[in-house]
Amino acid sequence: MSVAQLPVDPDALRAEVRGKYRDVALQPAGAHHFHTGRPLAARLGYPNHWLEPLPEAAVESFAGVANPFALRTLEPGERVVDVGSGAGFDTFVAGAQVGEDGAVVGIDMTPEMLDKARRNAVCLGLRNVEFREGLAERIPVADGWADVVISNGVFNLCPDKRAVFDEVYRVLRPGGVLQFADIANGRPIPAGALRDIDLWTG
Amino acid sequence: MLEDIGFVGVKVGDPVDTFGGARGEQKARSFQVYGYPFLARKPGGAPLHR
Repeated sequence: MSVAQLPVDPDALRAEVRGKYRDVALQPAGAHHFHTGRPLAARLGYPNHWLEPLPEAAVESFAGVANPFALRTLEPGERVVDVGSGAGFDTFVAGAQVGEDGAVVGIDMTPEMLDKARRNAVCLGLRNVEFREGLAERIPVADGWADVVISNGVFNLCPDKRAVFDEVYRVLRPGGVLQFADIANGRPIPAGALRDIDLWTG
Repeated sequence: MLEDIGFVGVKVGDPVDTFGGARGEQKARSFQVYGYPFLARKPGGAPLHR
């Protein structure tokens, strides 16, 4: 899809999203329009035993919208890509599930989130997790590398969803699984609202 | 869209009230916005365990 056909300018939307999630990285308990951290994870159905081993810094900036492990948990040894990994909460949950024989690559476009995720990974002593800067539309992972792609609350912020899902398909191996969480609306959103960047992020 | 791209076995799980009690609740309610888990598989190859 060409940029002209998209409801909003993707670069402008990315700038807005980066700003929003920079705030979530630096001020997780700030005045956001969504819940964050451990209370959110509990609300979304993450079991306590996934949360308890994680330090507060690894959980406090979590801003997902549902549980991408609700329909399937990961298996030891799987190779996983987390699209829009933020401060790394779902990446760390995935890392615990795939174990030392597995690998998880978190992808994010917000520098403050990447910095926080990398510090958290060092703090946790994880060797099966890494974070790379990148976009959902251009995932910095080789064709067919991933057994599983996870994501949480990210695709709804991408105006060209076809491009994103094409990219997810590319990085998955044949037989691989996409398991993600996202929001969906039961009532149609007016066309005018779709062109309002503020409504995409707030 | 997932099936158009080639994914198979698409499943959608139960909704969760993502924004209940948050500052964005009113806007979420006006468009009946909830969070959902999704699952889909790329065909071919050896299937994963589940």
